[in-house]
Amino acid sequence: MSQGRPIVIETRGLRKVYGIDRAPLVALQDISFAVEEGSFVSLVGPSGCGKSTLLQMLAGLVPSTSGEVLVDDVAVRQPAPEKISVMFQDATLLPWKRVSENVEFPLEISGMPAVKRRQRAAAMLSLVGLADFAERYPHELSGGMRQRVSIARALAPDPRIMLMDEPFGALDEQTRIKMGYELLRIWEKTGKTIFFITHSLTEALFLADIVLVMSHRPGRIVGTIKADLPRPRTYEIIGSAEFGAARNRIWKLISQDDRDVNGEGMASL
Amino acid sequence: MRALVLVTQTAFVALMIGLWALGSWIGAFDPAILPPPEKVATALGALLQSGDFLGNALDTIIRVIAAFAIGAPIALAAGFVMGENIGVGRSLSPVFNLVLAVPQSIFLPLFVLLFGLGFTQKLIFGITHVFFVVAVNAMAAVRQVPHGQVMLARSFGADRLKIYRSIYLPAMAPQVVTGLRLGVIFDIIGILLAEMYASRTGLGVLLLRWGESYSVDKLMAATVLISIATIVINETMRIWEARAGRWRKILEAR
Repeated sequence: MSQGRPIVIETRGLRKVYGIDRAPLVALQDISFAVEEGSFVSLVGPSGCGKSTLLQMLAGLVPSTSGEVLVDDVAVRQPAPEKISVMFQDATLLPWKRVSENVEFPLEISGMPAVKRRQRAAAMLSLVGLADFAERYPHELSGGMRQRVSIARALAPDPRIMLMDEPFGALDEQTRIKMGYELLRIWEKTGKTIFFITHSLTEALFLADIVLVMSHRPGRIVGTIKADLPRPRTYEIIGSAEFGAARNRIWKLISQDDRDVNGEGMASL
Repeated sequence: MRALVLVTQTAFVALMIGLWALGSWIGAFDPAILPPPEKVATALGALLQSGDFLGNALDTIIRVIAAFAIGAPIALAAGFVMGENIGVGRSLSPVFNLVLAVPQSIFLPLFVLLFGLGFTQKLIFGITHVFFVVAVNAMAAVRQVPHGQVMLARSFGADRLKIYRSIYLPAMAPQVVTGLRLGVIFDIIGILLAEMYASRTGLGVLLLRWGESYSVDKLMAATVLISIATIVINETMRIWEARAGRWRKILEAR
């Protein structure tokens, strides 16, 4: 990863508190980090640590209690679809729309003319290898294919940043590995900045340049691990000594924080 | 599958008419109570040419349409607000449940006292029949709109109006149409009931009059005619319902 690229996403002292009146619950506390243009950043942490809330705050979907999110040095207060696309854990395809219409959906909202958005959708579908499925309905596709449609849809408005909330969490392991490769290929081809949430340490490390490690109650960043692994990434890397060492460091950061609740962190592996 | 349904339905109707004809022929039915099919068919032909019958039928149709035209939009709006606004829904749902438990027909005498025998009484009775079933279905339809889809649309910059049009409308359509279909049926029940109870005009009045005067051929003819009309309305709306819910059926079939 080259040094000195411009910062595209920056958070400063983000904090989120729920239920202010009675029994306030601090969901996120003092979240500060920066993401460089074109980099692949993973955020790993146990279930329920506030990862999704953080992502929704980055996307401008949920307001923070205090602190701020800057994208290109501008504070994010509402969704900015021309810059940021979001991918959710389940593919969230609209069941009444065909695959191509689903990919067109963000363009339809932004008011692009029908002919143009059809072309754009076709191009995005061939990028994810689903050109032959344009006229199908979501229920006719497998889980992995649905997530590829979801990637095509997120790419359709040509944002610079893609926020992904455990997009492959519901897939079986083989499909998950294939989707990881697929995502890396698309990332290298398009040069997007990707912010990728997962609870899998291996997935986080395998994909990313930088791994942000999060802990819970309250959710906060407990460490930043640089993934100094050669690219393009191959499956064999996972068995390498450097990979193992880096993964152990992440695990240590997460489990240290769990010493009071012994072994609970194991469940989120 | 569809052909099978049609065959079953046709066979059922044919069987009923066949038994009726057979029973009449062997003298199992008293013709004064249940006249043979051909006599009812003749009466039916005569009714369709009778100005008196057609005028009363038109009165009933106008009442049914008016009650629906007023009741359905109000019910849709109320159901939407109750479904969308958790606070309003939570405070009004128990009231709805209370009201729904009470048979609406028992209010008819009161309605007659309040609104007289004219158009207003029947209109209001029809509206109350339309309202609840349409409102309850609209409310349920709003509540089942997936939160994730709304979030998705928001992330792509959709404003409220676009979210309603692109997510709410298609997601709600199947159940809303179900509500409307039941609303029409309840509407017809309400209007006919009101007409039979106390009215000067309408099909309900004719049915009651012919029943009391043992004009069974006319009574049967009108009964058959109303049945056919309501079946046609119901089946037409079911086609609409199936079309609006095509995507949902596909999901269930998996």
